[in-house]
Amino acid sequence: METYFSEEFLQLSFKIALILIITIPVLFLLRGWARNFFTKKYAPHYGMLAGKLVFYTGLIILVVTIMGQLGISLAPLLGAAGIVGIALGFASQTSVSNIISGLFLIAEQPFKVDDIITVNNTTGVVISIDVLSAKLRTFDNQFVRIPNETLIKTEVRNLTRFPIRRFNAKVSVAYKEDISKVKEILMDVADKNEFALSEPKPIILFDAFGASSIDLLFLVWAPVSEFLQLRNTIQEDIKARFDEEGIEIPFPHVSLYSGSASKAIPIEISDTDSSGSGKFKGRNK
Amino acid sequence: MNIDKWGEFTLSSGEKADFFRLGDLRLWLKYKDEEIWIGHQYAGHADSKEALDSPPEDLEWARWAPKEPGNTIKLMPVFPDLPLVVNSEYPLRVNPGASIQIFTRIPVWLRISIGKNDTVLTELPSIKLSRTWFGTPIEGELCFWAITKARRSLSNVERKPHMVSCPIQITNKTEEDLNFDKFCFRVERLKLFVYNEELWSDETRIVYQGEEQYSDINMSGRLPKGMENAKLISPPRKPEHRSLATRTFKMIFDESFLFGK
Repeated sequence: METYFSEEFLQLSFKIALILIITIPVLFLLRGWARNFFTKKYAPHYGMLAGKLVFYTGLIILVVTIMGQLGISLAPLLGAAGIVGIALGFASQTSVSNIISGLFLIAEQPFKVDDIITVNNTTGVVISIDVLSAKLRTFDNQFVRIPNETLIKTEVRNLTRFPIRRFNAKVSVAYKEDISKVKEILMDVADKNEFALSEPKPIILFDAFGASSIDLLFLVWAPVSEFLQLRNTIQEDIKARFDEEGIEIPFPHVSLYSGSASKAIPIEISDTDSSGSGKFKGRNK
Repeated sequence: MNIDKWGEFTLSSGEKADFFRLGDLRLWLKYKDEEIWIGHQYAGHADSKEALDSPPEDLEWARWAPKEPGNTIKLMPVFPDLPLVVNSEYPLRVNPGASIQIFTRIPVWLRISIGKNDTVLTELPSIKLSRTWFGTPIEGELCFWAITKARRSLSNVERKPHMVSCPIQITNKTEEDLNFDKFCFRVERLKLFVYNEELWSDETRIVYQGEEQYSDINMSGRLPKGMENAKLISPPRKPEHRSLATRTFKMIFDESFLFGK
């Protein structure tokens, strides 16, 4: 024992172990406290940022302290870091790009923790924004990791950034229907739906003369937290109310044109033949 | 029975449910197995005679197990838990420098509580109000939506136990007419009084400073002059501030937000 480990070495090891045993739990405690405090006082997003800031700052201080105990000077290390940095930079371009992108994401704040975002075709709730990537939980409970670089480069749609959202319902009715009556019914449906807001007022736009129907756009607003409920309920309400009022929602259909504008193709049923089956034939007038 | 007195009620024990009515609210309460059972529906859904005599079969019950068993409950009126955007049936113009008093009537919420500490079991609106957004699509607040006549006097107005009369004084301190058809009424800061067996709120004073400015709002804490001996029955939901400066009359919507596809 005496041959391999001097008393000085043992003392140093004991000191470093003591520093690690005391500071690491304290660091985790401080991170937890900062995260909880800022989450409660502001929002989960700021809790996450404060937790990371405290943890990484503490970690750097811890490493510098241990290096000081070991007698390693920082100055030559920092000098060497320049050369090593260039080598590492080439080797880890992607990681560095992600880290820098992460900093931009934190500064620009296109989304925060707990927001619902769509990136490419993935929609989910932001769980965390980390050094290299952001993590999402999709609604079918999948975990999705998106590199920060991707988030900077591609279109990110934040579905919960603003407090209210508009649902655009496409409503098609048959050509025979009275549009003013349809509009009245739709406004009444919005009025009775518990998730639809009275203001901004629902709007009905005449969208198009469709192939089989008149297409209307029914634009209704809801608080962002109740958008899905609005989308689910209002379409059911429209269908039920149209059924009640006898308003036809047409399915795509094709009219055969017999040569005369708007006239149906005349059909004549002939006498039953000997086999017992009826015959019908078209007659062009 | 119609609720026209506020305070404590003793419920029947066992299967029998006691029936209460307030505005459109139809309420059934029973005390069974040391639990309070509460079921409610709204007018139109439950107005047949059979339904009122006994709870409808499709009634959904909610159950509470109180800390101290007892069949005494307290029914009290409270203001809605969100501000109201009061939409005047007929727009009113207030000339520069004019100060007017209007009265608006608002449906109350029914608070059901038990025990010495008034533990709140639930709160139910006497009339279901739709909600609205007071603000822009980017910022604002969620409010209830109510249509009122903004009367100058409440004489000859039918007494309704579920409506609270709110006196409001509006002063136009600008050089232009204040043309208001709706305003945001912060009822959660008002007190509720009983005066002459009717519900009243303390007087709100609104000073209009211009379209681009916040209006000063002051909750006086008492009824208008001449209405003495009113009994306070509910404190404000948010008692922190007696006065505030906030947007009250108009929030401008950028129509491109609304009409664009």
